[in-house]
Amino acid sequence: MANNYDAIIVGGGHNGLVNAAYLARAGWKVLVLEQRHVLGGAAVTEEVFPGFKFSVFSYVVSLLRPEIIRDLKLVKHGLTILPLESTITPLPDGDYIYRGADPHETFRNLSRFSTRDAEAYREYGHAMYHMAKAVKYILGIRPPDPTSLHPRELLQLLKLGRHFLSIGEEHLYTLVKLMTMSSADFLEEWFETDPLVATLSASGIIGTFLGPRSPGSAYVLLHHYMGEIDGVFRAWGFARGGTGAISESIANSARAFGAEIRTEARVAKLLTNNGRATGIVLENGDEYRADVVVSSLDPKLTFLKLADPDELPRELVEDILGFDTYGSSGKVNLALDSLPELAALPGGGAHMRGAISISPSVDYIERAYDQAKYGQFSEKPYIDIIFPSMIDPSMAPPGQHVMSCFVQYAPYQLATGDWDGQREAFGDAVVNTLAEYFPSIKERILHRQVLSPWDIERSIGLSGGNIFQGELSLSQLFFLRPAPGWTQYRTPIEGYYQCGSAVHPGGGITGAPGRLAALQILKDGKR
Amino acid sequence: MSGAYDIIVLGGDPNGLAASARLARAGRRVLVLERRDALGGATTSEELFPGFHFNTGWPDAGLLDAALVNKLDLASHGLDFSDIPVAAYALDSGITLWRDVLRTASELHEHSIPDAQAFVGYAQEAAQYAAILQRMARLEPPGLAHRPLRLLARWAGVALAARRLGPRGLMDFLRVLPMSAQHYLERHFQSEALKGVLAAASVSELMQGPRAAGTSFKLVYGQLAGDSGGYRSAQRVKGGLAALNRALASAAKGAGGDIRTGAQVQRILIENYRVAGVELAGGERIAARAILSTTSPEQTLLDWAGGPQLQPRDVRRLRNIKYQGSTATVHLALSGLPAFEAREEQLSGDIVLCPSPDYAERAYDAAKYGQLSAEPILIARIPSLLDSSLAPTGQHAMSVTVRYAPYQLRDGDWDQKRETLGDLVVKTLERYAPGLGQLVLHRKVITPLDYERDYGLPEGSFTHGQMGLDQLLTMRPIAGFAGYRAPIDGLYLGGDGAHPGGGVSGLPGYNAAGQLLREVR
Repeated sequence: MANNYDAIIVGGGHNGLVNAAYLARAGWKVLVLEQRHVLGGAAVTEEVFPGFKFSVFSYVVSLLRPEIIRDLKLVKHGLTILPLESTITPLPDGDYIYRGADPHETFRNLSRFSTRDAEAYREYGHAMYHMAKAVKYILGIRPPDPTSLHPRELLQLLKLGRHFLSIGEEHLYTLVKLMTMSSADFLEEWFETDPLVATLSASGIIGTFLGPRSPGSAYVLLHHYMGEIDGVFRAWGFARGGTGAISESIANSARAFGAEIRTEARVAKLLTNNGRATGIVLENGDEYRADVVVSSLDPKLTFLKLADPDELPRELVEDILGFDTYGSSGKVNLALDSLPELAALPGGGAHMRGAISISPSVDYIERAYDQAKYGQFSEKPYIDIIFPSMIDPSMAPPGQHVMSCFVQYAPYQLATGDWDGQREAFGDAVVNTLAEYFPSIKERILHRQVLSPWDIERSIGLSGGNIFQGELSLSQLFFLRPAPGWTQYRTPIEGYYQCGSAVHPGGGITGAPGRLAALQILKDGKR
Repeated sequence: MSGAYDIIVLGGDPNGLAASARLARAGRRVLVLERRDALGGATTSEELFPGFHFNTGWPDAGLLDAALVNKLDLASHGLDFSDIPVAAYALDSGITLWRDVLRTASELHEHSIPDAQAFVGYAQEAAQYAAILQRMARLEPPGLAHRPLRLLARWAGVALAARRLGPRGLMDFLRVLPMSAQHYLERHFQSEALKGVLAAASVSELMQGPRAAGTSFKLVYGQLAGDSGGYRSAQRVKGGLAALNRALASAAKGAGGDIRTGAQVQRILIENYRVAGVELAGGERIAARAILSTTSPEQTLLDWAGGPQLQPRDVRRLRNIKYQGSTATVHLALSGLPAFEAREEQLSGDIVLCPSPDYAERAYDAAKYGQLSAEPILIARIPSLLDSSLAPTGQHAMSVTVRYAPYQLRDGDWDQKRETLGDLVVKTLERYAPGLGQLVLHRKVITPLDYERDYGLPEGSFTHGQMGLDQLLTMRPIAGFAGYRAPIDGLYLGGDGAHPGGGVSGLPGYNAAGQLLREVR
């Protein structure tokens, strides 16, 4: 029968595609179903305005696992990652902090503010490198169940314990701090220059509903350090052609291994028989059969929409209902007629090919969070800016530019009104903030796309608009992600698996959940 | 050098006194040195105005460990508690949390039927978790590097107790502790008023709002000693907290211990990398083979032992301890009972003003930037309602704890703002007790700065270091110092800065004494 597969993957985001590629690579007959016309989920490139291409949602890459790039031969399939080497933080007084690829230049720049910080910066880099190395091991394993007495779980726990002891006492203490502190508090133990602390601590709030002073944000900071490109930790990169090119290369790889991929195929329901997955039915009524169905969607959709909650244990349903998928990030994509000048450092130098961070002080970001806590978007938000067209000129017409602004905070739920009514006001707040640092920005804007968590939810299906498919909080990590007992990519329905960012090790363009789920599925074998 | 002691205990607070009693009962020659003229430090009651006795720092002996009370036989040394039927009374909503959880649940029906049903389950769950934390509180925390088998064996008991929660319960336990109180409370309840009262308990002695990860832990920790009514364990000592110190001192002395007040330590004497004794401010030297200090680790090690005795890494860690005291207290001598809209019985516990978790969060927002919120969290107590020895007949001693009074003010200092705070508290309470201002005979405001200067609390931190997730267990007081040992032979840390932390449990001192007895022969 033509509609019979070994495995069906619901959702053509990067994790779904990675999962499909690994299964196809093992010789499985695989079908991927994506609801949109374009593959990639949150990792897509779209020509939003004629001639202007945007990494509409996710915009930088650092976390993509090197073993995936290798196993799936992504470079051969068109992946090129261009380095994003610098970060500049313009300050309200016209000065700036610049950190670039050249450590001496960075040292000199930081020394202008504090020689102590300039020296600590190198040490800090080393410490975080060690931390990332220590945690890297965890990214590659299936979380053990600490409540089980099964020898397999105990062995896994023991291995984990041994790993932690192997990293040494000092690093272990630092790791405990990273797991429990706020990013600002953690960084203030290293640095005294407030805007530097602010900019570094911003990595701890991206995608979360936490402020830089909220305990738990240091972990998110670490999470963003866990990336490695070509073996270099904490190297951010930008994919040639935008983040969609990453998804495309994975899809190409999957197809080369024999996977079939369909777009504009909206899955309505999981089909089951006696507690076993048997396939899916599309919204148009088409049915596809497979003994293995893998959902790369967020847990609310995976468990409460695709599956029938009545077929699941009540506790799991409660856990998923209580799973925090509250979105807090927005995105403003701008098409510009020419490159705007940064008042603090005019011209189109190297700094315009890196990240530009609007994070002048810890209090600035914290106040932005204060507003969001009570259901207002930040009027003075934290903004992480890049000009993709400076790195990859094919993203915009010659001489013109695209500007990607990631904005924190845009709370999913507004205290008054709704996002349809406030979207443009939010866009204005972002542009007004930009104008403080890029005085000519307003005249340069040809088009503007504003995305709130609502828009993210509606367009790509992330519940709550949460870019990690669920908050990266201590209560939702590792053996608790997405729900206790169901962290091992399986679900209570036999043959039904999960492989999205909501499963260990979590969000970002890592591909790790997709890969780890595939390994689990292959281990469980075909029925 | 004068005297011949085995051990000197620095600090005559309940930790120091409990430690000295344990040490003396084990046959050691012990001397307690207290800087102030009275025992207790910030855990004491004082006659601030003639006839009016106030618990000037800690409001009660909330977490005093029952096992410790039994082992030291404190009842025979005069320790007695008042029975408080009420855990908390919410000023704005009138919600009353009784010690009897079923009674609370039945009354909550008026406010919210689902919450009434949820409350019993919540209170049971919290009590189960608290019982596990209590077991943990009685053990010395493991270091990350050295793992003697004995320690593992003792902690295995905790693991087994936790296992009795069942796989599901254990998962929930692990999941709940690092949660924010707001998230945890939202899982259970709908009523903002109910969540508000509990949120107020979850942020006690913290410079964090109820949205902060780990405030759930704090909510559970506050119920460590049981009988919390789902809110907070509160053991009110008859005669005020000074009576607790008297009982502990009597237990210590009864076993042969000596206690000296008004003895200011100048430095800790160290010879050949080991403790030799102490030198007092007047130059007097007292020899001892071991020292157990219950003052803050920073003062003990940096001021008294001296930084050069330590590794630079440890000095840095000591300086990085987060204190961030945020508690102020306004003590009021009243000519009569304030006219709160409640029955007298309802006022016998904590009288809480915190209408919602967001109210708490906003109060914290102000403190975060070094300001006192115009709408502060207030927790008032009138111990004289149940204990007539604390105030003249017909009159009352009321103490009001103010949360999120930041140690560091951005504008001005507490010497200028002290009375502003007092006025704000009286004015705020007058909304609920009209005419309160006219009842005030005397008023004393104690700010975080005063707690530091007069009571020896670093940055006014009641817990000698904030009890956030990053400063607990193995990380308390600093990484590498768990197990009550300082890196100088014979020097032990047994104050609230050590595990399990603050709350007048007596356990940091008592546990440290146990450790010392095992290690110093």
